Amino acid sequence: MRNRKRTGWHRIINGVNISAFFVVLFVGLPLYWLIASSFKTPDNLGDSPPQYFPNPVTLTNYRDAFGPEDFGIYFRNSLIITLVATALVLIVGTMAGYALGRLPMRGKFTLMVTLLIISVFPAIAVVAPLYLLLRDLGWLNSYQGLILVYTAFNLPFAVWILRNYMLGIPKEMEETGRIDGAGPIRTLWTIILPMALPGLFTAGIFCFTACWTEFLFALTFNSANNYRTIPVGIAEFGTVYTVPYGTIFAASVVAVVPIGILVFIFRKFVISGLTSGAVKG
Amino acid sequence: MTTISSAAEQAPVSAPLVGRPDINRKRMARLGWTFTSPALIIIGAVTIFPIVYSVVISFSNATVSGNGVALNGFTTSNYSLVLKNSTWHYALGFTIIYTAITVIVELVIGTMIALVLERLTAGRGFMMALLLIPWSMITVINAELWGYIYQGTYGVADAILNAVGLGHPDVLGTPTPAIIGLMIADIWKTTPFVAIIVLAGLVMLPGDVYEAAEVDGSSGWSTFWRITVPLLRPTLALALIFRVLQAFGLFDLPYVLTNGGPGTATTSLAILGYDAIFKNLSYGPGAAVATTTALLVLLGCLLSLRAFRVQVGKED
Repeated sequence: MRNRKRTGWHRIINGVNISAFFVVLFVGLPLYWLIASSFKTPDNLGDSPPQYFPNPVTLTNYRDAFGPEDFGIYFRNSLIITLVATALVLIVGTMAGYALGRLPMRGKFTLMVTLLIISVFPAIAVVAPLYLLLRDLGWLNSYQGLILVYTAFNLPFAVWILRNYMLGIPKEMEETGRIDGAGPIRTLWTIILPMALPGLFTAGIFCFTACWTEFLFALTFNSANNYRTIPVGIAEFGTVYTVPYGTIFAASVVAVVPIGILVFIFRKFVISGLTSGAVKG
Repeated sequence: MTTISSAAEQAPVSAPLVGRPDINRKRMARLGWTFTSPALIIIGAVTIFPIVYSVVISFSNATVSGNGVALNGFTTSNYSLVLKNSTWHYALGFTIIYTAITVIVELVIGTMIALVLERLTAGRGFMMALLLIPWSMITVINAELWGYIYQGTYGVADAILNAVGLGHPDVLGTPTPAIIGLMIADIWKTTPFVAIIVLAGLVMLPGDVYEAAEVDGSSGWSTFWRITVPLLRPTLALALIFRVLQAFGLFDLPYVLTNGGPGTATTSLAILGYDAIFKNLSYGPGAAVATTTALLVLLGCLLSLRAFRVQVGKED
């Protein structure tokens, strides 16, 4: 943290606060619009000029999202797929991250660069072959299909982050375990894992967010109503002729809340993942 | 998964690990590969295999039959078809221009926001939490929200445009306004992400350089250009790479907000590839579009990595 003297710069302090206020407006106004619109009646949603404050405030849209629309199903699907994929990524990623960070293996560098390149590959490049593959397996419109794809696509970044955290753990810690006669698996479980917990949080929150928001794969592989995830469900709300914005926004608010809470609680880890996790190595 | 359990049985070693470095090392290396193999198998099966398969399809006469796609013989016709196609030319140009403009605007506004937040004395935690919401938001929701804002009769953008005397333009129904509207939605969602990365870089800058600059009588503006920007270059490069790679695969936002239209005005390379494969069932040309897009992304990634590493080298 840099500490600059700001003598006689009180005017700037003021300017900073005014600028910050504009930042809040820039980010906050569209968010306000989303939330406010979700509480308007279907009639008021079509007002011109628009209603700036919902009056009357109604919960109809929230009821409709879970009633005539199947948002409950989409929410359940998203939750199952996201949680299982995140758990798999963390288990498989921790083992790989531990090996690549702490065990003497040849060709580690090549492997890490390959992972980095794979993690930037655009989804469109693989969506057609994966579609054919999942169809042959009979895994279109299933949980396991999307879980497998999400696990694979989030692993490279998770391995990178976890490896960087593992690298930072002092060697003495491992040796204490060895002197106590613990095998490698127990050492990983009882000594390394607790110390790599921040890395697990970081990798976990990134994987969760990526699975929760993913659209292209979910749209292509799980198009049947009973297997749609939230993004696909919201995109397909309504008919060709009318867009039921009220239900869409109510569903959106419900979809944003869990991820918003998670990101808020783990914001320290998100920020460290966005910066150090990706730069180090 | 069986490999893991067998390794678990072998690994708790009978001989003490201390004192025999060579054997120990070999054993540890084997353990390393055992631990890495599940990740490698999953990544290989679900990413590397499809990438290769996609390239194979793009060089084949692919015909869709009842039970799948039949590949009949080698051909380069898919590529010549795509490379000569005017829609592909447009999509390529659109994707490049869209990426360039949004990323530049996001870097500029993001840096400005980061500079403001860095000087903020109170409420930085609140601001960070607020900035993280658009980042974690589902892009489909972002698209629906801006679709409502741009709506032609009751959208709030329409009310604002009318109030400033621009009448009632059909924002999403006219090519240029639709493109600008798409960019605004993207900039709103992604600028906070850039701001957070840049802020983290700003906070890590050494303070003494600034004190020296102040002693030398350097003004705020020249301090920014001559000290902050050069020191911040690795961070800015990182944000740039992240964003360019992401923007080049642009799909969700135009798919929901404009469906690639009006006409083909907002058809990105990813939308073109998706439509070719899943709407027209032209697997060969679709795979060619997908492969060329991936190749461009890969090229961009390697170039940026190289530029980035040179930059990091200079810092040492």
